[in-house]
Amino acid sequence: MKPRYWMKPAAHAILLLGSAVMLFPFIWSLCTSLKNLNEVFTYPPKFLGEHLKFSNYLHMTDRFPFDLFFFNTLKITVIVVVFQLVTSSMAGYVFARLRFRFRDGLFGLYLATLMVPAQVTMIPTFLLMKFYGLLDTHWSLILPGLVSAFGTFLLRQFFSTIPGALEEAAKIDGCTPFGIYWRIFVPLSKPALATLGIFITMGTWNDFVNPLVFLSSMKKMTLTLGLANMQGLYSTDWPGLMAATVITVLPILIVFLLAQDLFVRGVTLSGLKGE
Amino acid sequence: MKTRTSVLYKDGFWAFLMLLPNIVGFLMFLLLPVLATFVISFSGWNLTDSFQFNGFRNYKELFQDPVFPQVLGNTFYFTLVSVPVGIVLSLLLAVFLNQKLNLMRFYRAAFFIPVISSMVAVGVIWQWIYNPEFGLLNYALSWFGIDGPAWLTSTHWAMPAIIITSIWKSLGFNMLIFLAGLQSISESYYEAADIDGASWFSKFRNITVPLLSPTTFFVTVMSVINSFQVFDTVYLMTQGGPARTTSVLVFYIFQNAFQYFRMGYASAMAYVLFFIVLIVTFVQFWRQKKWSIY
Amino acid sequence: MKKWSIATAALLILALLLAACGGGKNEAAPSPQSSASAASGGDSQGGKQEQVTLKFMGWEVSPLETESVKKGLDLFMKENPNIKVEYTTIPGGTQYVAKMQALVLGNEAPDVFFLQSDYYRDFVKRKSLLDITDRVNNEGVADDLIDSAVKLSTVDNKYYGIEACIVAPVVYYNKDLFDKAGVAYPPTDPNKAWTWQEFADAAKKLTVKNGSKVDQYGVYGLENYYMTIAEIMSNGGNWFSEDLKKSAANTPEVKEVLQAIADLRKKDGVSPEAKLLTNSGMSPAQMLQTGKIAMLVDGSWSLQELSHMNFKVGMGVLPKFKDAVTHGQAHLHVASANTKHPEEAWKLIKFLSSEEYQLQNVKAGLWLPNHKSLYTEEGIQKWLTAGVHPDGFKDMIPYFTSSKPYPYALLSSQKIQEDTTAELDKFFIGNQSVDDTVKNIETLANKDIAANS
Repeated sequence: MKPRYWMKPAAHAILLLGSAVMLFPFIWSLCTSLKNLNEVFTYPPKFLGEHLKFSNYLHMTDRFPFDLFFFNTLKITVIVVVFQLVTSSMAGYVFARLRFRFRDGLFGLYLATLMVPAQVTMIPTFLLMKFYGLLDTHWSLILPGLVSAFGTFLLRQFFSTIPGALEEAAKIDGCTPFGIYWRIFVPLSKPALATLGIFITMGTWNDFVNPLVFLSSMKKMTLTLGLANMQGLYSTDWPGLMAATVITVLPILIVFLLAQDLFVRGVTLSGLKGE
Repeated sequence: MKTRTSVLYKDGFWAFLMLLPNIVGFLMFLLLPVLATFVISFSGWNLTDSFQFNGFRNYKELFQDPVFPQVLGNTFYFTLVSVPVGIVLSLLLAVFLNQKLNLMRFYRAAFFIPVISSMVAVGVIWQWIYNPEFGLLNYALSWFGIDGPAWLTSTHWAMPAIIITSIWKSLGFNMLIFLAGLQSISESYYEAADIDGASWFSKFRNITVPLLSPTTFFVTVMSVINSFQVFDTVYLMTQGGPARTTSVLVFYIFQNAFQYFRMGYASAMAYVLFFIVLIVTFVQFWRQKKWSIY
Repeated sequence: MKKWSIATAALLILALLLAACGGGKNEAAPSPQSSASAASGGDSQGGKQEQVTLKFMGWEVSPLETESVKKGLDLFMKENPNIKVEYTTIPGGTQYVAKMQALVLGNEAPDVFFLQSDYYRDFVKRKSLLDITDRVNNEGVADDLIDSAVKLSTVDNKYYGIEACIVAPVVYYNKDLFDKAGVAYPPTDPNKAWTWQEFADAAKKLTVKNGSKVDQYGVYGLENYYMTIAEIMSNGGNWFSEDLKKSAANTPEVKEVLQAIADLRKKDGVSPEAKLLTNSGMSPAQMLQTGKIAMLVDGSWSLQELSHMNFKVGMGVLPKFKDAVTHGQAHLHVASANTKHPEEAWKLIKFLSSEEYQLQNVKAGLWLPNHKSLYTEEGIQKWLTAGVHPDGFKDMIPYFTSSKPYPYALLSSQKIQEDTTAELDKFFIGNQSVDDTVKNIETLANKDIAANS
């Protein structure tokens, strides 16, 4: 649609205001993380304290090993992202392009699991983990993360939009379905994979319920768990808490900013927009 | 060349092989717990060793529990407000963003940051924003001479506060998807309308909205499913209070399971929720057939 | 040729992918076993000199408390060189209970752990806790505990854990604001406790209005379920009957107290709108410090924070209806029924309930002792700390030693607690009448008691 002359200024005004509303809570927490405790509750509120107190970040590891939490989270996230992209794209391809018995039923089952809230399956999942002998290991977070109904669904939608002609040509060349998937579908779906990759990163990095239930040793915990741990009942160390908050949000923000264009292209191309 | 069955067979073999890792994980970590919950929903299990089936008693009890209609009502309230408002806002933003703007990447990132942040972190920040005495929201309202309410502790304003935070958190996601939808609408439709001398608004109504309906459909379905399952926001910000005005279905399920130790009852409620979501999704699919004629 | 090589390569990659997943699982299996065997390595013989590792779990209450737990554990390990304690905190509140439930069910519970007093009896009922009755009685560990601590820690005369300390609701005040208004400080001696009327009058005098806006409120903090209990007890009532078999909500004693608390705000306008405390990110202590309120009804634990805030803080007993009463409770230290090291677990619990361990947090103002010997003239000297415990604190001693057990610790029912809170919210925040409120609470509570028995 061709924009009208008033559209651009109006758009800038609205989007700037919107961005301010979106970003303000983060800017505020960043500012608070640099304040002295007694500067936190001044009224009217001030953006910055007398001095920037970077030591709130240095003292973060005093009570909880946030450095360790950070690396645990990073390790789990990287492994899950890499493997889930592989399993989801293979399954997505199979559901989109291959014909076999029970396909629709099986796919329906995948989708149905999306509708059961995780809070309820917590206890059965815990007992299963115990049965598998995975409790209090990072495997308890990695292995279930290797598959995702949502990821399968997303990539199936994307693969359905790829024209059949390419596939036919490869078939005539004698490619196996796996060959077609690997040679044609994967290279074509980089944006979709980037999109899913960001979603997986988000989900894994921010996951709270699973680490809470499965992990019991301090040295294995993740960032969100550390953050929730720090919100003690009577804890009022707001600058410290905000510093931990910033550390939790920042890495994923960087990932997003780096992959932004690819991600957006993925959303545009993939079935996400509902076609 | 090949018979149909042999193609089927060949696909079946490869399908099996390529699905294997996924399906093993799916069965082991997703389907099994979901089925276990279904079995538990027919028991009076209270998280002890003893496990006894009690038929449909949990499902019957739902009709006598005075809290259940209340939390169901709260869940509908949340969904019916947050989904339409969220969709309209994100669509409008997407329309504004769908032009060659200088700060495009900045805007996109700004709106997406809440989406990628952990709810634990976001909950901490928003609780503070809503603080009636020292909070930033009431401070901002005071510029306009408005004496803001005690957001999270008011029986009238706690739910709107939860809704505002939820919309804030998911706006960027929906906006991005709408933006993708808008960008795939061919320019030729608008050019044709320009020749007819159509106004901007009539083009928006007669071209953009109908052509965007598959996207709107997808966003609606996902938002509705997510809204029915809202938990984190409530859990982290109000714990269902005050006077249970923000107690939503999944929160009440969690309370029954872990505070009242009634796993069987909680599981039954989870399956009722599951069927509600399923029905709502089906209705939406059925309506979509009538919608998207384009 | 080319086609084939590609197909083979693809197959190889697929095999690799599949193997990578399979391999992951194979690698995963041994790790928990090996860690488990490492943990239980030395203790299978059960010999005294054998090195034993105890898993100990709690939640982060405050940085200070965690710090003192760690200090205490160092001391314990020095005294018991064969025991190593691994302390882990997990997020508190309902998350903690959910996690503990899962751990107990999966037979993975830590050897020793914190447990909230209002879940203690639930865990006893499900036989999840180690019975330590004989050990407690043989070693006389409970002899020195104040009555409410004994009552709270025992279920049918059996011990499954020992209360860590007590915390109790009290009144804090900002001395400068009292001096400015020329109002006498709230008394510390329970025998001289203010009547409700005196309290309400003081609150009126301490409320400063600026036109229609209130700059300073007289009092804050009573409008929540926890704080109503002490006043109801003071009026000779309780939320439950003596035998805990019936709700006692629908009584004149309860109604009078609820109405009096609500009147402070709704009629007299001496208390600020809504309960700021429960959900706001800010501690109510800050409101007292900044002069937003002159008196604050809060838990005794706040003294630790208040004493560091550079203003003249005072502490007194709650106003009374008939008698001056407060109640006490705290989390318990318990051992898992399935611990492999009951002897060592008991040693740790015993240490955690000792005077020596309690003192650190008591000195800081976070806890109140639950040992009788710490309330004697001599005992008090061990912990009364200038700059933390305000003037006249000693007068409050009888108030704490005679504290009544927290009723919700005795009748563990989260459902009733939630229902009561919801109804009280309707009364304090909404417009529900006091009669309807207590009637609803009575109905809901009786229904739940019946369902549980």
